[in-house]
Formats: sequence, C-alpha cells, structure tokens
Amino acid sequence: MMSLLLAGGSAFAGPKVHQKPSDFIKSSLGAIPTTHAITLTATQQRQVRAILGKNYKTKAIRYWARNGKSVFILEEIGKTEAITTGVVVKNRKIETVKVLVYRESHGWEVARSAFTNQFQGTSLKSNGQISRSPRNIAGATLSVRALTKLARLALFLDSQK
Amino acid sequence: MSHQPTKLRRHIARKWHRWLGLVAAVPILWLAISGIMLNHAQRLGLNDRMVTSGWILQHYNQLPEGEPYAFEVGDRLITGWGNELFLDEESIPLEGELVGAVAHKGRLLIATPDKIGVFDGADELLLELDNLSLPGTPVQALEAVDDKLHLKIADQTFVLSEDFFSADQVSAELVAIEPRELSPEEKDSLTEAIRTRRGMPLWRVITDAHSGRLFGWPGWVVTDLSAVFLIILTLLGLRLFPKRKS
Repeated sequence: MMSLLLAGGSAFAGPKVHQKPSDFIKSSLGAIPTTHAITLTATQQRQVRAILGKNYKTKAIRYWARNGKSVFILEEIGKTEAITTGVVVKNRKIETVKVLVYRESHGWEVARSAFTNQFQGTSLKSNGQISRSPRNIAGATLSVRALTKLARLALFLDSQK
Repeated sequence: MSHQPTKLRRHIARKWHRWLGLVAAVPILWLAISGIMLNHAQRLGLNDRMVTSGWILQHYNQLPEGEPYAFEVGDRLITGWGNELFLDEESIPLEGELVGAVAHKGRLLIATPDKIGVFDGADELLLELDNLSLPGTPVQALEAVDDKLHLKIADQTFVLSEDFFSADQVSAELVAIEPRELSPEEKDSLTEAIRTRRGMPLWRVITDAHSGRLFGWPGWVVTDLSAVFLIILTLLGLRLFPKRKS
C-alpha cells in the first residue's frame, strides 16, 4: 500500500545530451554532407503511421548520405518527451543506433550501448517488423518501444530513398 | 484484575482504529485507486488522453510568460510568447524566440534562433531546418527579398536555395524587421484560445491528484495526513491482531 502512496513521485533530471547530432553525423560519415529529404507521399505516410502509430512530426524527413551509408536523426516520444536518436543504415541494415538527446525522467537505460548494440545488423522484414527485437528493460518499456519504432522507421525510410 | 489495563488499551486501540479508518477511508481509497491507475497508465491510455476542462487548465496556468509579439504575413499572424509560437491562435510544434516569418511559394517559414520551420498550405510542419542544414545558427532574421529567402546569421546574409538545404552568402545587408506588439483584443483572444484548447495529459493530472498537488497545499496536507493515518492504522491493526484471551 505504501508503494501506492509513493507511485508517481520522481525527480526530473532534465535533458541529457549524449552526443550532438552534428557530431554524430561527422563521426558516422566523416563530415556533414549536403542534406537530403524524403517528402512522404500519402502511401508512405500511411506506412509511417503503421510503424509509429501516428504521423511523424514533419512531412519531409531529412537524411545525410555518404559512401553507401545513410544517417537519420529521428525523434519519437518515449512517455512525454522526445528522444533524439541517430541511426546509421548501410545495405538496408542498421549499422549504429545511438541515443543523442534523452529528455525523459525514466528509462535512460536505453541510451546505454549494451542496449543500442542489439540493433546492429537488424533489417526490416516484409511485414514491417524489425528482424530481431531488442530485449525489454523493466521500467523503460516506453523508451524501448520508441527506439524500436525509430529503428524500423530508419530502415523503412532507407528503403524509400 | 491484571487483565483490566490490557482490555482498556485494546478498547482504546479499537476505538482509534475505527475512527481513524473512517476519516482516512476516502483519501486512502483514492490513493490506492490512483496508484493502480498510474502503474497501468499505458494500458489505460492515460498518456494519450488529454484533459481539457477549463478549471484544470486554469489551475495549471498554461499561459506563457512575458509579453506576446507578432509578425504579420499576409492575413496570418505569427506570435511569439515566452518560448512558444502560435500561428494565428494555434500552437505550432516549434519553440524559441520568434525572429522572423515569411510566406514563400505557398509555404510559410517561421524562424527561431535555432530552427526554421517550413509549413505547408495546410499549416502542417513540412520540414525543420537546424544547424545540420543551415549555414549556421543562431538565425537573426528571415525575410523574402525579390522572391528569394534571405537569412541573417552571425551578421552575414545568406540566400537559401529552393530546397532549403544550401545557402549562398551575399554581400547585401539584411535589416531585420521588428515584430509588433499584440493589441489587447488580440492578446485576450489568444489567451482564451490557449486556456480552452490546450489539454493536459490525463496521467499528469492523476499524478498531481494522487500526490495532492493538484489541490494546492490543502491537497498535499491531506495526502500526508492520509499516509500518517495509514501508518497508525497499520500499527493499531497489529496491536489488535493477537487473539483476545478468554
């Protein structure tokens, strides 16, 4: 019963920048190349909705490409705040997933490389699911779901270039 | 005779247990129910549901701080208030100080020092431009000159390409247009729109009601007292638990 009394009480830690998006692109591609964007058609927006459960915040999604690699800087809400994530895709497979800015008060464990490394080598199955789902983290379920959605979205966008 | 003091203490304990239980029943029930709801917020959809009740929104005082100021673009009014931006009276998904707004080829561009939001004809955010796509930040001004988009960054002027992803520096100096203040009628209308259209996530309202903060200091005092009563009730219950000697 006392745990019920204490439910919901937590200190908000504020946003944590693990790496600046510009530094992530530089470290992944060697430089920041010219920006490209995929402007989603109505069909593509439907597919994005199927992945995220809602529209992405912008109709056009930017990416940066060099030497066969594409970098997507994407955002998705974990519980209430956006998680900014960098995803590198090469040959239709994820090479890197990195949490760049984490703003939620709970679930920061998803920013650990032990978690994000699980996405390495994953691809998109024909049913739109990721080929290998990451293990859940107790207390960080929403953040795990958000990162999985972003990994799927990056793979989908890479296939639409 | 030796049983008399024990009997009296049990009688007093039972009396206190009964009355404290009665007084604390409603708040403890609420704490228990709201605690369960918060533990299952995702399953119950509390994260997605919004509370739009007037008194709740008023309680959260969602109005931004400071004085609002605006740029007029055709018949549209783009307002900056605190860190928030509004297109006419709708909040837009862009934050920061408003430094410029222009219409360009069917699109509306709204600039803050860190980002430029490109909105389509349906007022939907088409694209966000930041330091990854712009020649730099902070953006100081954004204007349309001779059908071209001019940007002022670090006291230098750039012309944005048609796809917005590249910019050429030009020698012309861009003089930033100053925003205007909102008239009292415009401010009142925007204030009313914010109060009535902005919802609070249901989980947030339940969390604050659970802790008592939603009801100000009387709320958290009642919550604290309920917790103290619960501790006393537990101790009294333990005191009463042993079977009475026959």
